[in-house]
Parts: sequence; C-alpha cells; structure tokens
Amino acid sequence: METEYTKQIRDKARELLENGTVECVIGYETGTDGINARPAFIYDPADVERLVFDNTCSHNLVKYLLNMKGKPTAVVVKGCDSRALNLLLAEKQLQRDNIYVIGVVCPGVVEWGWNKQSDKLQKRCVLCRQHTPLIHDILLGEPVTEEPPPDFTDVAEMEAMSSEERAAFWQEQVERCIRCYACRQACPGCYCIDCFVEQLDPEWVGIRIAPGENLMWNTIRAFHLAGRCVACNECERVCPVNIPLSLLNRKLEQEVLDLFDYRPGMSEDAIAPLITFKKDEKLGIGE
Amino acid sequence: MTKVLGRSELESWLGEIMRERTLVAPRRIDDLVLFTPVQSVDEIAFDFDNTNLSPKEFFFPRTETLFTTVYKDGEVELTPAVIDRETVIFGIRPCDARGIAICDGPYLGDPPDSLWAQHREKTTLIGLACTRPAPQCFCSSMGSAPNDSSNVDILLTEVEDGYAVEVITEKGENLLQGVELKDSDVKPVAPSCDASVPADGIVEAVKKSFDDIYWSRLADRCIHCNICAYVCPTCYCFDIRDYKRGDVIERIRTWESCQSKGFTRIAGGYDPRADKGSRLRQRFCHKLLYFPEQFGPLGCVGCGRCVVACPVNIDIREIISDIQETGAKVGQGSN
Repeated sequence: METEYTKQIRDKARELLENGTVECVIGYETGTDGINARPAFIYDPADVERLVFDNTCSHNLVKYLLNMKGKPTAVVVKGCDSRALNLLLAEKQLQRDNIYVIGVVCPGVVEWGWNKQSDKLQKRCVLCRQHTPLIHDILLGEPVTEEPPPDFTDVAEMEAMSSEERAAFWQEQVERCIRCYACRQACPGCYCIDCFVEQLDPEWVGIRIAPGENLMWNTIRAFHLAGRCVACNECERVCPVNIPLSLLNRKLEQEVLDLFDYRPGMSEDAIAPLITFKKDEKLGIGE
Repeated sequence: MTKVLGRSELESWLGEIMRERTLVAPRRIDDLVLFTPVQSVDEIAFDFDNTNLSPKEFFFPRTETLFTTVYKDGEVELTPAVIDRETVIFGIRPCDARGIAICDGPYLGDPPDSLWAQHREKTTLIGLACTRPAPQCFCSSMGSAPNDSSNVDILLTEVEDGYAVEVITEKGENLLQGVELKDSDVKPVAPSCDASVPADGIVEAVKKSFDDIYWSRLADRCIHCNICAYVCPTCYCFDIRDYKRGDVIERIRTWESCQSKGFTRIAGGYDPRADKGSRLRQRFCHKLLYFPEQFGPLGCVGCGRCVVACPVNIDIREIISDIQETGAKVGQGSN
C-alpha cells in the first residue's frame, strides 16, 4: 500500500506542477539515514521522483503552509494533519483556495529517530481516532469508517499520582528542558507572531533556562493549545530531551471533550469553545 | 609500555575526586545520556556513544549570573560572579573537548570572557576515547579523531583489563597523583570514524554559495527551533537580561541562537535577517566561513548531535557536500 501511495503522490504532484495548479508540493522524501522520511518541497516536476510515503512520514506538514504566503501549494496530509489544516482554516490563518490537499488514509507512523528503524507505532497512532483525512482534494487509500472510542488511560495514570508525586514528576521532566522551542516551532497551533514567551512588556516568563521558568513555559504553552491541540503530537516527537508533552495536551483534550463534547479540527468552520460563549454553558458553576 | 588503570581503581579514583571537587559524568536519565554532577560512581554511565547534550554547559551554562549590583545609600555596589569550585569532567569525548577548545577562540580573546576563563581554569578534563564511533560521527572529517588527545588533560582508552592512560597536561598529572598505574603491553586500538565529509576547501565554497537559492530551498524544511545550536558543542551565542529584586539587580546570560526571531530583531522591530533562507544560512556561514576566517578552525567538530536531533533532518554533512558542488557551480557562473 505504501509503494502505491508513493506512486499516486508522485503522479498527482507531477500533474499539479505541470498544469500550474500549484507552485510547490510539500510531501516527504527519504532522509540522510536512508530510513526515515523528512519533509520535501518540490517545485519542479522533474523532482517528483524524490517523493515517498511510508510509515516513517511522521511530520505534520500543515505548519509549512503558513510560510507559503498565499502561493498555490499542494500538501500531503494524514488524518491528524487534516485536523491541523481545519484548525488553521477555522482560525483564518490559511485560505482554502490556495491549497491542494493530497489526503492519505494513514495506517499509523512508527517511532521516529535518526538512523533508527522501528516497527513500533507511535503512541498517538495507537490512540488515533482519525485515520482518514477530514479534508482533501484527492483521497488516497480506503477511508476507515469505524474509529475507536477515546482512550485516556495515560492521563488517568498520571492523575493517579498524588499531587506531590505529580509535581515531582513534572519538575524532573521540565528541569531538563533547554527552551529550544522546538515544540512550538513544530506545532501547527503555535503561530503567534510574538509568542508570549518572547514578549518583553509585560515579560510573562523570564529567559532563564531553569526549572521554574521551564515549568511556566511548558504549562502556558499547553494551556494555549487547550481546545486547539489536534493530537498530531509533533511537539513530543521533536523534543530533544523527551519530555512527555502529550500528557499535558491530552489532559486538556480530555477536559475539553468532557466539558464541551468538542474535538478541535474536525471541520474547517468549527468555532472553538474557548473562544465563544453560550448562555447555557454553566460548566458546573452555581449548579 | 602502556600505563593502565584497572576498572575498580578507576572507580575508587573517581570516588576520591568526588569528595573534593564537583565530578561531572555521563549519566543515564530515562532514555537519554546527559552530563550531570554525580554523587556516586554507580550513577556514571561508562558504556555510551555520546551524550544527548554536549558538555559545553559546564563552561557556558544554559543560564549564568554575570554579576549582581546593589543600590545602597546612593551608591551602586557591583559584585562579579566568581567560580570557586574545582570541577572534573569524566568521560568527555575528544570531539567535545575540541569543541571547548574551539570556543576558546572567541571567549579567551582580548579581553577574555571572565566566566569562561574561570570555568576553564577550574575544570580538568578526563577524556574517554571512542572505541565505537556512532553512525552520525564524523570527527575524522573535521580534523580530529576518536582518540584525539590534544584537548583533554588525561585521555583514557578502554582496554581489556581497564583503561589505558595518557597524561597530557600538568593539570592531568596533578589529578592522577598517588594513583597507581600498571604497566602493560596492551596497545589501545583506534577505531576509524567517517572521514568522507568533504570539508577541505569548504570556506571558499560557502563564500561562493552565499547568494545561491540553495539556502532558501534548504530553509523551506527548517522549522527554526534552537535544537541544533543548543546541542552543539561549538555554538556559543547568548542573550543577556537584567532581573531586579528590590535594590538588587542580577545580570544573567542564557543560551540563544541565530535561528530564533528575537536574535536579530532590533529596536523598532526591524529584522535584517528576517527571511528563512538567510536565517538558516547564518548558522552554516558562521560555522564554515566566518568562524574559520576569524579564528582558524571550522566551527564544527563532527560530533553529529545536530544530525540526530534535528526534527527535519537538516544534516550538516549533506550540506557540506552540497555546497562543495553548488559552490563549484556558482564559481563557474552557472547559478
């Protein structure tokens, strides 16, 4: 199936570039380890043979559309990535007309590491509830019709700790954070021109790379993704010191699901619960 | 004759070092190996390729206080930071030791950076030669070798019955005083490391490639995080900020990187390096052009950390090869 996808993506990319529908196709090519995929930007039909699709195509390519400045672009999108695309369309960061979506029904991607060959699915893929892209101009593969129910076992395990244990756990995790901001840079939901962490007036978080500031940074970033995180889990994949950021994001995902019955990125015109107000929303207050 | 230190003698020596000095050593934390201060020999990882983060942070910490000032009775009293504790780093790889020596260029110039100079003076390096270079390693391409002893105080090489010991400096000699070494016929074997990255002539090639579209095409893929700079043993840029608590002001510096937006943005909001291509190019021009022009060596030691850690496979080995070709092409006027 993967080689089939590769062929279909190449054919479509060639067609779109040759007939001038798009200026660039964002897909995947094999990286320098000869094992794992990396993002590829194809401008010339002669280069489409570089494109591949296999179970190492982990990267969420939707984030790159923000750099294309309205240039007609095609992008290869998996199920989770399609939710990111919907999120950015709903938040008016992208224009649908300029984007050609090559949707791929995703069988899941494997754990990623330079020069590491793995056959173990990533955690987000084991828990995935959106194998089929929600938005596409062409769909490759057979849509998956039945998706599993939500599973928040990992969050429950974290919450089973006492608050002291949990505090110690997170303290230890964020202590090794080097504030490289790779989580933010990889996240499709993080597109602020001036991220709070870099604002000087007011200065929300100091620049010290130290436990207190690191905890503040990681916590606030998670809150900014509440009701917006599409569970592509790129933040956790890219973290160079393996901080389990999905636990924070998934805790908030669960809260939003429980309170509002809402999953971000499911349609391109969804209004996120945290940016709107309904009179009948009491959320337990005064009830 | 080779001088050999037995494994248990090594452990008791390290235990002794710990009593009087801070001992920094590689340690397994979850699935990472990181240099941290250790309190017991059991915490030390002896069998590792290399650490996920470079040991530069023991000379150039992620965050460090430069000085504090106190305003009292109309007078400002300034207290510069003083590094008083002796530190020993055990297990530093030859590539990383070379990284520290390379940073001496900018940091020990005239005037020297006082904190870097103090860390250098107070720190002794016990190098551990690589017996098994990892797939990402290319130190031999960058003018070093897995058993390069030129930038450590003592070099240890694992042999059958312990560690072969080479004492390089007086500092190393002092640290080993009273430690009994056995004479042995064993000859430490130097493994080979990837020497195929075409670094010869790269300075000129990068210069020629400056205006090539290569950089903006490469930057398409870059997400401009700071991983490469922060894991790199030779990236030494920082940001400075003052923090005020009452009458006390603390001036600190922290790691910063040319890939971050705030790095080049100036008063009024203008950013002379705003586009992705020129921002990414800066990293490689600094390592492969500006640094060697200013200080001599290339600003890369071939540790391969950025190769492994980059989330989008921006691979300096590939870039060096590409630029040798691109630079040649541009040189022929076929841009």
